[in-house]
Amino acid sequence: MDQEFHIEQREGSTPPVIAVRGEIDVATAPQLRESLHSVIAQGEGTIVLDLLEVTFLDSTALGVLVGALKRCRELGGELHIVVADPRIVKIFEITGLTSVFTIADSLESAGPA
Amino acid sequence: METADRLGSGDRIELKFPARGDLIVLARLVTSAISARAGFDIEELEDLRLAVGELCLLTLQGSDAQHGDLHLELSVLGDAIEVVCTLERAQVATVPEPEGEEVARLSEQILDALVDEHGRESRDGSARAWLRKRRGGHAE
Repeated sequence: MDQEFHIEQREGSTPPVIAVRGEIDVATAPQLRESLHSVIAQGEGTIVLDLLEVTFLDSTALGVLVGALKRCRELGGELHIVVADPRIVKIFEITGLTSVFTIADSLESAGPA
Repeated sequence: METADRLGSGDRIELKFPARGDLIVLARLVTSAISARAGFDIEELEDLRLAVGELCLLTLQGSDAQHGDLHLELSVLGDAIEVVCTLERAQVATVPEPEGEEVARLSEQILDALVDEHGRESRDGSARAWLRKRRGGHAE
């Protein structure tokens, strides 16, 4: 465990930005699901998910992201993923999810105001 | 690393813990340590750490995670490491997990990409999954 898991919604950004730190796995993915669903339930169809400080991510986390993406698209929006660590990017690549999500390597290029 | 710290062919380490998702991190930590001592490089070690986590998830898939134990056996076999994960004394879950099928599909994809061989079977109330990875032997 490199870093303690932490999740927060950044204030005042449009679209909303959820930032995660640490390891997202079967133990912590439910907190991510809850955060994403909470924002979507407020009618936000487009969300930026900042994974720049995520050190590990497994299939449970990916399952949560795919589920959230479906909900975003039902509202006509998109789930933008911000990730730069090559180890994390590799997981998106080997599961074919780089063609499913909009992936950026910085918050600036993901487009929140 | 001192030679005395190295693991060689035939060495085997076992780990047993309650079959709870939040304890899978133990399997990943042990895998990192064993892989390093078996001579895998840092990239292979990261691959194995992720793969063994997925192996545990696949073994737990569809089970009652509040009961039973996960039994992990890591064996060094020549230039390869073999990991067998067995779920013991568990029951079939009555409530499907959210995104369960999607997660299992993703786990299989991750294992396909990161290890040389893997498989799983379910029999008589126990589930078992295994993988094998060679040093320098798996190209994506």
